[in-house]
Amino acid sequence: MPVSRTRNFCIIAHVDHGKTTLSDRLLEHTNTVSQRMLTAQHLDSMDLEKERGITIKSHPVTMTYRAQDGKDYKLNLMDTPGHVDFSYEVSRSLAACEGAVLLIDAGQGVEAQTVANAHLAFAQQLKVIPVINKIDLPSANLELCTRQLEDILTIPAEEAILASGKSGIGIVDILEAVVARVPSPRWTDYPQARILVFDSLYDAYRGCIAYVRVFSGSIKAHDMMMLMSTGQKAEVKEVGIFTPKMEKCATLGPGDVGYIVSSIKTPADVKTGDTITLAARPATEMLPGYKEVRPMVFCGLYPLESDDYEKLKAGLARLQLNDAAFVYSSESSIALGFGFRCGFLGLLHMEIIQERVRREHDVDIISTYPSVIYHIVKQGGEKIEVDNPVNMPDPGTILEIREPTIRASIIIPNDSMGDMLSLIMEKRGMCDHTTTLDMNRVMLSAILPLNEILVDFNDRLKSITHGYGSMDYELGEYVVSDLVKMDIMINGDPVDAFACIVHREKAEGKGRQLCEKLAEIIPPQMFKVAIQAAIGGKVIARDNVREMRKDVTAKCYGGDISRKRKLLDKQKEGKKKMKQIGKVSIPPDAFIQVLKN
Amino acid sequence: MGEMTAMPPGCTQVAAPGSPRSPDGPLGLYVHVPFCAATCDFCAFYQTVPTADGVGHYLEGIAAEAALVEWTRPVNTVFWGGGTPGLLAPVDLLRLGTTVRARLGGEPEEWTVELAPASVTAARLEVLRELGVTRVSLGVQSFQPGLLDALGRLHTREQVFRAYGLVRAAGFASVNLDLMFALPGQDEAAWLADLGAALALAPDHLSTYCLTFEEDTKLWVKLSQGRVKLDPEHEARLYEMTWARLAAAGYAQYEVSNFARPGHACRHNLNTWRMHEWIGLGPSAASQHAGFRGANIADLGRWLAHVARGERATEDRVMLTPALLAEDALIFGLRMNAGVDLAALRVLFPAAPWTDVAATIARLVDGGLAKRDDDMLCLTPRGRLLADAVGTELLGAFGANAVG
Repeated sequence: MPVSRTRNFCIIAHVDHGKTTLSDRLLEHTNTVSQRMLTAQHLDSMDLEKERGITIKSHPVTMTYRAQDGKDYKLNLMDTPGHVDFSYEVSRSLAACEGAVLLIDAGQGVEAQTVANAHLAFAQQLKVIPVINKIDLPSANLELCTRQLEDILTIPAEEAILASGKSGIGIVDILEAVVARVPSPRWTDYPQARILVFDSLYDAYRGCIAYVRVFSGSIKAHDMMMLMSTGQKAEVKEVGIFTPKMEKCATLGPGDVGYIVSSIKTPADVKTGDTITLAARPATEMLPGYKEVRPMVFCGLYPLESDDYEKLKAGLARLQLNDAAFVYSSESSIALGFGFRCGFLGLLHMEIIQERVRREHDVDIISTYPSVIYHIVKQGGEKIEVDNPVNMPDPGTILEIREPTIRASIIIPNDSMGDMLSLIMEKRGMCDHTTTLDMNRVMLSAILPLNEILVDFNDRLKSITHGYGSMDYELGEYVVSDLVKMDIMINGDPVDAFACIVHREKAEGKGRQLCEKLAEIIPPQMFKVAIQAAIGGKVIARDNVREMRKDVTAKCYGGDISRKRKLLDKQKEGKKKMKQIGKVSIPPDAFIQVLKN
Repeated sequence: MGEMTAMPPGCTQVAAPGSPRSPDGPLGLYVHVPFCAATCDFCAFYQTVPTADGVGHYLEGIAAEAALVEWTRPVNTVFWGGGTPGLLAPVDLLRLGTTVRARLGGEPEEWTVELAPASVTAARLEVLRELGVTRVSLGVQSFQPGLLDALGRLHTREQVFRAYGLVRAAGFASVNLDLMFALPGQDEAAWLADLGAALALAPDHLSTYCLTFEEDTKLWVKLSQGRVKLDPEHEARLYEMTWARLAAAGYAQYEVSNFARPGHACRHNLNTWRMHEWIGLGPSAASQHAGFRGANIADLGRWLAHVARGERATEDRVMLTPALLAEDALIFGLRMNAGVDLAALRVLFPAAPWTDVAATIARLVDGGLAKRDDDMLCLTPRGRLLADAVGTELLGAFGANAVG
């Protein structure tokens, strides 16, 4: 099949707007996967993906479609990660395409993520095919959707295809539009082989499998390939396509989407966005857009049971094999014992990793408060980066602290405007632009410090808007901010797990809140125990743990002595398991309760 | 009650800390009578419903078991507990008493028998008097019909008064009433009313027990089902009210749950808390004797089988090392108002990490939980309410080498 009859496209959509169902209909219609083989939502194979309706790993698939012009076309559908945390991964998947089907839920209209994804597609110069999905829903509002297409996304309304993935309406129209509107593969005439890595998978037997899109040249087994970012060379063991399962083939040529198994065993060596070329005749320029991904959000992960440390370690190692963006290193905490400092692309990424540790590796974990990377300029000009408040240098040595910001697009119902603006203010943000989307909704554009949205921003947004609000964000600049490290101390001894970096103006409130919560959750103590929040030794809030009132056995006669003695020995053993903060013994789950919020 | 005076300083004589387990120290004898007509909701003691055969075999078993014990010195105190010793018919009481008497090596200083109010009859009391019983302990628990029902007790308020009258008339040297507080549904006023009713009888001794939820009791089941709720603050208040009320009435507290008029503290129990020796007979009875601590099998049939074969039916035997005795003398000794003599403990167990223990004691003193006067250490009222936590803290100070 000539390369002119290859079409590479993806489907982009807000969560729950029906991307996976529509993908399944396309697979069915092109007989790529039989009806019988289709488990519901075929492409999202990870449980967590199905459950949360988000795609974490790419699931590309090659389909053959006989178009109405009578010719067969090779359609490569890229199922892309659907969340802003993975925006770099999304951008690489998009870079592997020439076109994008943009799904809009007819009942819900344009959402924050729709806008963000559409902009990513425009940035990759993809041909966007708007599809209004779920048109058979009673709540469908076509007029609103087409108007939003024009007003918000500047896409001519007449380009929109009406569809329903569920009942199969518009599937042929979409396939025909992909054939007719999406350009054939670009950059095929570059003199050397250039192949984009848009994802990778670790397989215990075959090593690291690169998911690729060939732009120019071709590749086959026994070729010597080279990764252009590092110059690392490796022998190609096997190439193939996705049907959607991996199917070996002889050669991958221009425009093809498939996989490469090579002699590379280390997942970190195969980086998303890298360009593969042939070692014998290497290309001189990489495909555009390659970046080293860097984690933006950090937290400590600790096993609830210290016996699970090795299990957690093994679990994190395995997760990292398939997720190069996830980083970790060991750390220990007085309060929580031995654990790991973990870095994530963003909040969702953090949640997903935590959830996968719990589910797939069966380890109960507790995480510390998430932190961002602060840039600190010390007296004398030395610059350091801090991702753990514990490592914050002495305040006297700091010239300034810079924190990362985000630019958020927040879509909310009109009547939530006041509360939303208050929330943005409370979170030290600034709303600099509002756009009316329709009769009922507005889109706010705001700049917020990243650390302020880490914990409860999204929950509060959902609560203010009764679930109707949505938010998307992109990373912004680092800005100088009046930040301080706040310590929480128990009888004068700092508890590392609760150290945090906060804005000076919010320190007292947060300090009081933490002290109160600890005082409430720590079980009553025999001795007086003070809990204090302090900045650089100055106490800004305090509370006392309740004093134990009664712990005495009423009857303690001859027969009771052995029993009582055993009980006291048991309690003594139990005390050894407690976390010792200075002279205070605190059950480890007290810290966990506080961290759990 | 009118003639009651404030406690003379001499009252501490009975409760003065003694050296634990001096070789010729006082020896106690505990006899467990395992029969009960019904099981009280709070009770975790071993008991079984009496049958004519069962009682007969039990009495033979006690004789057989007593024959297995090495009686090396006279018995100072005797305590019959249960179960309900009073369920035995007068003739059986006499048989049991005769068996026991034969082993005492003389007249004991104190001989206590626990009686359920419903079981008290003139005939039984007469037998007990003849045997030489000096002290009767009545398991009153409460005077309020509703609470008695809730506990599953079989007696009425009137039976308590009648029983107390009979016991007094029989002329025992010392009479104790057992009361319980923090019962489900009992508020502060109800408890004060019970205390008042007990004080109106002017007993020589009062034991007031905060309701304890023991495993294998009906109450435990209710607690685990959430039908009864624990409230330590409420319990602490009831403790404090009790201590204040009884002190005002002239009853000196000498242990967490025990109060006596001068000269009426229970010596048998004091000796137990000072880690002296006692021999236990009967199913489930505990002993601390001849270098070991342990308890008999808590099953009448299996206990009988053992003693019939000429074996003691002891389970959970623990060797009494100086370390164990020193720790226990400290922990259990602090439950007594008089406290403990640290110097005596250091003599008993010189190898203990006394420096660490002293540091813990200093913290307890600083925290207002204990008072130290030279080598005498006792708990403050607040410390007494936390005696178990204090015990755990002290055990911790003995460190990993301590004997468990």
